[in-house]
Amino acid sequence: MPLHDISYKHWHGLRLGVWRRRAAIAKNGLSACLQVRWMMNLVVLCWGLGLAAAAILFLVGQLLVDDSAVSQWVATFVNPLASSLAKNLTSWLKDHPEISVSSAQNVLFYYLGLWLMRVSIFALGPIIPLLITRDLACNAIVIYSSKAVTRGDYLLGKFATVFGFLALTWLGPVCASWILGNLLAPDWSFFWHARVALENILIYGLISMAVLSVLALGVSASSANAKSTTALWFTWWILGAVIEPIALHTSPWLRHLGFGFDINQIALHCFRVGENLTVAQKEIPFLDHIRPDTIAALNSPQLTGTVLALTVMIAAAVWIILQRVKPE
Amino acid sequence: MSAQPVIETQALSKVFGNQKALDAVSVAVAPGAIGLLGPNGAGKTTFIKCLLQLQPITSGSAKLLGREVGAEGREIRKRVGYTPELDCHIPGMAGCEYVTYCAQLCGLPFQAARQRAHEMLDYVGMGQERYRKIDTYSTGMKQRLKLAQAIVHDPEIVFLDEPANGLDPKGQAQILELVQNLWRAYGITVVLSSHMLADVEQICEQIIIIARGRVLVHDSLANLKARRRGSAEVVVAGRHEDLQAACARRQWPCELLPSGHLKVAHGSPSLNPLLSLLDEIHLAPLEIIPSPNALEEAFIQALEISHAAP
Repeated sequence: MPLHDISYKHWHGLRLGVWRRRAAIAKNGLSACLQVRWMMNLVVLCWGLGLAAAAILFLVGQLLVDDSAVSQWVATFVNPLASSLAKNLTSWLKDHPEISVSSAQNVLFYYLGLWLMRVSIFALGPIIPLLITRDLACNAIVIYSSKAVTRGDYLLGKFATVFGFLALTWLGPVCASWILGNLLAPDWSFFWHARVALENILIYGLISMAVLSVLALGVSASSANAKSTTALWFTWWILGAVIEPIALHTSPWLRHLGFGFDINQIALHCFRVGENLTVAQKEIPFLDHIRPDTIAALNSPQLTGTVLALTVMIAAAVWIILQRVKPE
Repeated sequence: MSAQPVIETQALSKVFGNQKALDAVSVAVAPGAIGLLGPNGAGKTTFIKCLLQLQPITSGSAKLLGREVGAEGREIRKRVGYTPELDCHIPGMAGCEYVTYCAQLCGLPFQAARQRAHEMLDYVGMGQERYRKIDTYSTGMKQRLKLAQAIVHDPEIVFLDEPANGLDPKGQAQILELVQNLWRAYGITVVLSSHMLADVEQICEQIIIIARGRVLVHDSLANLKARRRGSAEVVVAGRHEDLQAACARRQWPCELLPSGHLKVAHGSPSLNPLLSLLDEIHLAPLEIIPSPNALEEAFIQALEISHAAP
């Protein structure tokens, strides 16, 4: 016999609004994503990369300080010549804050974003089946549809799941790196000089995360079989990366078939890496060795093609989602 | 049936390709325990899904709990529970997590959702297995879990689509008892969809019989059970002729069936006139089989319609 009352009880509490219900879907999805084996390790790796970038910023900042601990350490333990080189560099960097802070951070965060994007796209592979695929396979859509949420609420919740996951593996570490790197800088004015880098991070990050989230949902909705959706995601990504260098010399438009290329073009446009390197190259002699074609490639992002390709991809993903995510 | 109807439909139709799953269904159903009865493929599930907006309505209109279906879906479903016929769960979740999540989807704050989930799992009789992954549950546990998720947000009406399917007799009886209590003890309107006449008869007060997408009967169980044709089959050891002659004197049609039984159309809802006649002619019957009541007749009719060629 039960020790407590097991009869039915009515509930008279206040019900939460629709945004809280959407948030519940997102939170549930995110917690399922983080339960995937090795996923926490990947998240830690991403934050580790962010910390490494902050450490680089710290070192660059130390170069701007006369007789900083870093330069003393270099003089004592590495080479006294390196110390005098650093002193010369310090005086030069002080004269060019736009390069030493703004351009340096732009280039650093471009490459950090690029690497974290790759890790995030890789991490999305095993997560994709947990988004919509699993619900399609188990008829869970019927349960969602019978509750006080609409198809739109369900999809918004799922979108927030992917977006939240990408924020954890991508935008979060990059922003944290920016904050920490500038907090450890010798001067508060670093925050001011580095503001453009933060703007670029946010614009690039938010656009790319939104695009990737929709594409991931589209792939997830394409089949009720978990292996198929994961395979489709990796195939699309890897094929795009393989086609990219080949298509450069044959049919350049083919490069837009890979979403990785298109997202990189957005990054190039936001961070203006080519422009930053060109400016730096004029001022810093040891940057001479960067090949002009490399600078040119970084200088001219294929923005029209990218926007067109991403629009088509997003439209296709939305069409697949709307076709597949129905109560019946 | 004077209370405000919980379900109102006007010429509700649903067409799949060339197939009419619902054909101009018009009903006004008062709160209570409602049995939606009909053979497999009659349109019961489609009717429920149209009301819950899981299927778009082809034509006609429907109101659930006084609100227009189609216009206020989210608000309606906040006050409605549903157990689908098929297994619909989220894999990888434990039973209590799943029910908590379902409560959150209906707007309950997390703490309240978790507490209610445990209360409902207690109510449906689930013990420590609630902490196990749903993927490992037996059919009986899944049925209980489906019921728990349907009532966790304290709905005003709950639709149960074949809730006793796949259960052993003991499990069926337990589930039906829980369902019965929802209306009788707690005032939650229950719509029980089933193809089992006995299940519906056991717990429902109102009956809707559907066949080939049309409502054949909508009445209270008491009325349906009381209504009978005035005929009976009489089994006698001999003296068929005496009974036939006596019936002829009273102008009651009497027919000898191939089984040897005599079918007498005495024209009364009660068997008393027939018993008086048998007494008059001093004939002791071996058995008197009354004609089926209106509920049984309508159900048999629904089965015949469903089995007829499309």
